[in-house]
Amino acid sequence: MHWVRLFALQFTIAAVAVPASAQESREATIVAEQAAKLQKVEPYKRHPAEELLLEVRQALIEQPSGFYPYFDSVYSGGGFTLGAGFRQYTGDRAHWNIAGLYSLKGYKLIRADAVAPGLWSGRVDLRSTVGWRDATQVRYHGLGIDSPADLDTAFRMQQTFGGGDATAHLDRWFHLTAGASYEHYSIHDPTGDLTSVQDVFTADAAPGVGIDPSYIHSFASVALDWRRPGADYARSGGLYQVTRHFWKDINGTYSFDRLDSEVVQHFPILRENWVISLRGRLESTLDDNDQVPYFLLPSLGSGSTLRGYDSWRFRDRHGLLFSGEWRWIVSRLAFDMALFYDTGMVAPRFERLARNGFVSNYGIGARFHGPTRTPLRIELAKGSEGVQLVFSASAAF
Amino acid sequence: MNNHLRYARHGAVCVLLLAGVLLPASAAAPRFFADDPLKREPDSQNASAVREWDIDLFIDLAVNLFGRPGDPADNARARNVNTIDEVPDSSWFTNRILPGPVTPADVSRGPLVGNGPAPGTWTVVSRKLTGFAPGFTMRDSRGEIWFVSFDADGHPEAATGAIMVANKIFWALGYWQVENFLVSVAPEQIVIAESATFTPPSGRERRMEPRDLDDVFTRSHRGADGRYRAVAARGLPGRTIGGFRYHGTRPDDPNDVVPHEHRRELRALKVFGAWTNLVDMKAGNTLDIVIEENGRSIVRHYLQDVGSTFGTGANGPREYDEGWELLFEPDLARKRLLRLGFFFQPWQTVKYVDNPAIGRFEGDEFDPQSWRPRVATAAFLRARADDNFWAARRVAAFTDDMIRSAVKTGGYSDPSAEALLTDVLIKRRQKIVNAYIPAINPLYEFALSADGALTFRNAAVETGSGQSPASGYRAQWLQFDNTTGQTRPLGPDSSSRDTRLMAPAPLPDANGAFLKLLVSAVEPAPAEWLRPVDVYFTRSAGGWRFIGLERLP
Repeated sequence: MHWVRLFALQFTIAAVAVPASAQESREATIVAEQAAKLQKVEPYKRHPAEELLLEVRQALIEQPSGFYPYFDSVYSGGGFTLGAGFRQYTGDRAHWNIAGLYSLKGYKLIRADAVAPGLWSGRVDLRSTVGWRDATQVRYHGLGIDSPADLDTAFRMQQTFGGGDATAHLDRWFHLTAGASYEHYSIHDPTGDLTSVQDVFTADAAPGVGIDPSYIHSFASVALDWRRPGADYARSGGLYQVTRHFWKDINGTYSFDRLDSEVVQHFPILRENWVISLRGRLESTLDDNDQVPYFLLPSLGSGSTLRGYDSWRFRDRHGLLFSGEWRWIVSRLAFDMALFYDTGMVAPRFERLARNGFVSNYGIGARFHGPTRTPLRIELAKGSEGVQLVFSASAAF
Repeated sequence: MNNHLRYARHGAVCVLLLAGVLLPASAAAPRFFADDPLKREPDSQNASAVREWDIDLFIDLAVNLFGRPGDPADNARARNVNTIDEVPDSSWFTNRILPGPVTPADVSRGPLVGNGPAPGTWTVVSRKLTGFAPGFTMRDSRGEIWFVSFDADGHPEAATGAIMVANKIFWALGYWQVENFLVSVAPEQIVIAESATFTPPSGRERRMEPRDLDDVFTRSHRGADGRYRAVAARGLPGRTIGGFRYHGTRPDDPNDVVPHEHRRELRALKVFGAWTNLVDMKAGNTLDIVIEENGRSIVRHYLQDVGSTFGTGANGPREYDEGWELLFEPDLARKRLLRLGFFFQPWQTVKYVDNPAIGRFEGDEFDPQSWRPRVATAAFLRARADDNFWAARRVAAFTDDMIRSAVKTGGYSDPSAEALLTDVLIKRRQKIVNAYIPAINPLYEFALSADGALTFRNAAVETGSGQSPASGYRAQWLQFDNTTGQTRPLGPDSSSRDTRLMAPAPLPDANGAFLKLLVSAVEPAPAEWLRPVDVYFTRSAGGWRFIGLERLP
């Protein structure tokens, strides 16, 4: 029996391990290879790294309902932020969502939204939101473009808000939005070593200092937008938008109206080898007699306005900003660079916006894009008050 | 047990085992078998156990864009070619345009074997599961399943035209293709099956509703008559198991033994892709089907979606750099980064004829050797001069009439669109030929008569991509030992100014004798032509039989 087993073993070795040369025809050679593979066929197994990647993607990005990572800003100047959300669908596209953010400076945001996009064959989007925001160290340098840079004054703003809006897509490019919300602002001393605004400024230099107003804030907006739809960055097209805000102080003293307008135009050159991107933004308080609390005034200075200046560096009743970028596309897949120049002005009266006194900065930026979002924008900007390094999870404009 | 007997037995076992391991290795492998050159690659094993797999689009893209999957060896000869350097018919490929003949009518018919969808009510059974073009899956009034895809809104005839034309071209080139029909769809003829389901963004599958169909039609181009032009692709018989990768083998398919990066017909897509601008070579555009053939299950491999060709995509014209650059090329990115974008490429200035149905497709600035898909496959990167030559000869075999016949099936309502596509394909064909046929010793169709006259043809001269070498050709004549591979000169080299060379001495007349000839051009000639092509013949009762050819080792 032992001999029989040995012969069987020998036969098996020969049958499986016999290379091509042992065959008598080309076809037999291939057949032998295929027969040998038949002995070891196995179901496909993904590499563990691929499996892990797919699971993470499914869990954090693709699953319609459930937890997801949330990257956004709590409030300008809050610093690096991390957050998470939970989304639950109630219809094909309708869903509610709860999300929270926490920043390095202790800024906090929690919000709940109910969203119903794409109603009436994609023509109408509805959204309602309630939330609470705590911005612990919002800088305030006083009014005007000449306000001092070296003040260490700040305030802590806690905002409670709730409301809704509707957007009608009248055409592929033409959109109307209207909405209303209740907003309550509670102003406190800042955290850390900063000096409270209330300790330094009077009502003349900080309108509304000491108040905790509640507003009914309504707005209506019309936009002509032929940039790439559904993405936060574009290399062609333009946005022309005007928004009228009505801030109704429930107690009556600090009601005001504001007109915001924004123009963005991208000019691709040599088939998007370069893109010249221009932006103009105006925020204007409409009635000179209206009282606007200092923390709701138009402002300049941040990673998306005057990038060479601190967040909220300049505030006044009117604000005007121009930005120009010369972008060069390093890789269509995900990466472009830009040289940029921002200039802006704030003024107590509209007619003074056009006078001399604009502050400006210039800089260079690198932007890493995903299919629809800009998860990382790093920029170095130089203004008259120094150099700012900007990290952002959204496009500049 | 007696010790002597034990030793004897162990000794015998050792001898047997040693023989089992060493004998095949030491036995000299014949270079040629009696059935060479193989005409058909067998699928000998039952592949019924193959299971469906899902190749993730982004993983596939990342692996091919940033990695180098497959055999690390460069310059490896294709492994599925037969001894005469041709690709046998297989579950991957069928020789059609060469050796031919294929007529313009054949090209026009392409893979069609039946009629299109039956008229009357079409019942939608599911939404379109892949690709960006709007569409759905439906059952016609005969009960046949069809995959229907439309032109994107604002881009009439673009996507459907490209699908139709490319389908015919790639069929003629030899690939397994689905049966595509150009159809006109009226929304009124569509009903939704009770069983049809739809998965909205919520991820919760539900019964398909009319509003879901409305969404498909909203995204599709509506003709002036209120109807929608579409391509209906007949459902393939068999079990769908996902696409194939352009590297490695499928671990559960016993017949899949040649790594895909070493399959010549997949390497050849470098040339065919350049000709047709097939920029989207992802695994997701391929399809493996388990079919029954000769009583066993085998896997057939389809180039299922070749619609990403010419100048348009599913949703409009191609990006300007598509066909010119990979999605990401580190060297180009570095240069652009450091030079502030002052690094120009031809795509930035190339002129296109403005024809929305055809898109950005041109033949004047086109350079086959610098052409790029979005993401290079492992097979694309392994293509060598002999693979490119093989492919270019097939492109060259397309006559103008064949190209016209293929383009005609695009059903373009604008004659200028048809003329433009035809014109560009003809121009690009010649550039392919000029680039790849003279880039290697282009001699082919060798024959050796009983009286020792060797004849052959020069593909470069015949296609106008090269001139006949002024000093002619030279051949070195060797007797070849098929078992050991050793050679022995039969006499001095022979040479001739034309493509007929005489043997320098009487040739062996014994059946089973082998000859090896090293045939090259004589200087002055292109350097590539001076490198001899190895040609093998074997003697049989009928005379000398051409049995082997190797352009590159």
